[in-house]
Amino acid sequence: MDQHIKKVYVPMTETAFYILLCLRKPNHGYGIVQAVEKMTDGAIRLAPGTMYGSLSKMEKDKIIRFIREEDKRKIYIITDLGTEVLQAELRRIERLYKIAQEEM
Amino acid sequence: MKTKKQFKWFTIFEYEKEQEYLRYMHKCGWRFVTVRGLGMYHFEECEPEDVVYQLDYNQEGLKNKEEYVQMFSDCGWTYLQEYAGYSYFRKSASHMNGDEEIFCDEASRIQMMERVFKGRLTPLFILFTCVLLPQFLLNLFAFHNYLAASFLAGIIIIYISLFVFCAVKYRDIKKT
Repeated sequence: MDQHIKKVYVPMTETAFYILLCLRKPNHGYGIVQAVEKMTDGAIRLAPGTMYGSLSKMEKDKIIRFIREEDKRKIYIITDLGTEVLQAELRRIERLYKIAQEEM
Repeated sequence: MKTKKQFKWFTIFEYEKEQEYLRYMHKCGWRFVTVRGLGMYHFEECEPEDVVYQLDYNQEGLKNKEEYVQMFSDCGWTYLQEYAGYSYFRKSASHMNGDEEIFCDEASRIQMMERVFKGRLTPLFILFTCVLLPQFLLNLFAFHNYLAASFLAGIIIIYISLFVFCAVKYRDIKKT
């Protein structure tokens, strides 16, 4: 994996994590906002400025890609590089969780 | 309908102050209509209400304006206008669950600051290194035009203090 991308995204923000998780299926920004709200029972509400900035940055970093536009909403999907980044992050979180359980 | 104009000057980093100012005016019964020129804020009389105002600086968003504005309006934010690279949004506090802003994490707030820096300081920096500084050196050492040189020196000092001011401000924000 691209070392620079790995450095930037592992560890990643919660916003980036949810975006990658949701984009395993094609979706647009607001669709992700709604999906995350539902997934977390309303605990996490992503804001549009954060969402817009994150999506364009992630597209530039090639961890997601634009597929088409629908009703003025850009639809994206995760790339292979994005999937690798997400898995690396999941391994990191898993390790943290395991260590915490052993220690506490 | 009664209207009102107020002149206010905010530096490029005082968008938070500007947001508070617009929210305060709305609470006092003055709805923001537009800002023009060097900072002339136009208001119209309205029912006093708690309305949150937010500024985003996103040039890529401005290039894809329809799609950019759509994302905000999907989330309940009304797009108002563009001014000096900033996009203005508002949302009534009664339509929110708790506090709401257009950014939900520190990382994206800092990224916006960085966009402001890049967008506003890069042109100044190019002007500084490609025009001001060479002109100053030429006048001083080649043309011996000391009047022009001292005039340019004055401008250079203003520029340098601006750059230092911005650097300090940036460091402060990144720390908090």
